[in-house]
Amino acid sequence: MKSVRVIVLVAAIGFVLSASARAHHGAAAFDVGKKVVLKGTVAGWIYSNPHCLLSLDVMGEDGKVVRWMAEGQAPNVVYPVGYRKDSFNFGDQVTVTVEPVKNGRPMGRILAAVLADGTTLGVANSSGAPPSPQQ
Amino acid sequence: MPNRVLVVIIGLLVGVVALAVDLTAQNNSPGGWRAPDWNKPPITAANREPAPRRNLAGMWAPADGAGAGTQAQGVPSKPNNGRPENELPYTPYGLQLYKSHHALEGFDAVLPTEDNDPRNRCEPLGVPRYNHYNVRLTQIFQDAYKVAMLYHYDNRWRVIWTDGRQLPKVVDGGVDVGGEIREPRFFGYSVGRWVDDYTFEVQTVGVMPDDRVWLDSTGRPISEKAHITETFRRVDADTLVWSETIDDPKIYTRPWETMRLPLRLHDPRTDVQEYYCSPSEQENYNKLFGSGASSKGAP
Repeated sequence: MKSVRVIVLVAAIGFVLSASARAHHGAAAFDVGKKVVLKGTVAGWIYSNPHCLLSLDVMGEDGKVVRWMAEGQAPNVVYPVGYRKDSFNFGDQVTVTVEPVKNGRPMGRILAAVLADGTTLGVANSSGAPPSPQQ
Repeated sequence: MPNRVLVVIIGLLVGVVALAVDLTAQNNSPGGWRAPDWNKPPITAANREPAPRRNLAGMWAPADGAGAGTQAQGVPSKPNNGRPENELPYTPYGLQLYKSHHALEGFDAVLPTEDNDPRNRCEPLGVPRYNHYNVRLTQIFQDAYKVAMLYHYDNRWRVIWTDGRQLPKVVDGGVDVGGEIREPRFFGYSVGRWVDDYTFEVQTVGVMPDDRVWLDSTGRPISEKAHITETFRRVDADTLVWSETIDDPKIYTRPWETMRLPLRLHDPRTDVQEYYCSPSEQENYNKLFGSGASSKGAP
């Protein structure tokens, strides 16, 4: 029963994120369906319109640190699914799953996040979201 | 004496239940700032309450969830997905205009650096596009003379007059209001009337010209010749169905329905988080993310 609840919760969050992910701009810039898991150190978190922005320093396999930029939706969209102004703080060690952009730059949109205190937000698989009723 | 004991017991029980309800509510409303409840139980025969007569007032939001009013893929009745059944009856001018619009959404979306959506300059969206852009929490107030709608996006408001005034006539360059030529407006000129006790019909004309506004986020056009008809049908106490038809002979060869969006009544105390289009925030976003994300290649 508990697992069913978790699935329903994740699906619901996914629906909110996936539907609203198209709210400000289209999917044309993103490699839709692809996921990249980033473990890194928070360098900044802007909780603002039109999109929240997370900057994350991630150590690459070559030992170099790459700064990723990951966008969330606007505060009014992400607040109901748990993202807050203080969800990310400078220096936090977090894991963020993003859908990367197509052009190869270290950018993407947030599909899921594991915060420094272990709190999980968002959904790890956008394709798991139910289809939008308008389509 | 036994009656007094009974009253005290009932009172205590009511108090405990009220406290439990209040504590539950507080989980979703820290400090009393109530968040939207997007997980309401469905309306069924068991919990359905009758609609109040001639009353639209309330805090409304899409009944199918937070994402249902986004309309990113275009107006709900005709999503812009390339399917033949969703092709619109464009006039030659309308089709030409549509092709000149480079939208970030829809079947032929472009990259963010290539779009010309007036929204991205934080221009007012106008009516009817406010009805088709991120409809979330929409507040409706009414008095004896008017109905006022408060849109969530960009904190915009609109007045629909119900005092019997006439709908202006569309003329070149604006509208004719009792023999006086008035300017086009982003929200146009709206009048409403009750068709029956539960159906409110709104007519709008005098909206902005087609080089200032779009119909939806996929770049469908709308012009100053448009006549927009909206219907708000109060199905029951908790449900309002918002429909819209546009008749724009400059752009479309015939009238067509754009949406039939069911709304659900929310707690009137719900806090509405700001969702402004701020030019400086938009610029900052483009600098930090938008431009890089949509550039043609890696740096």
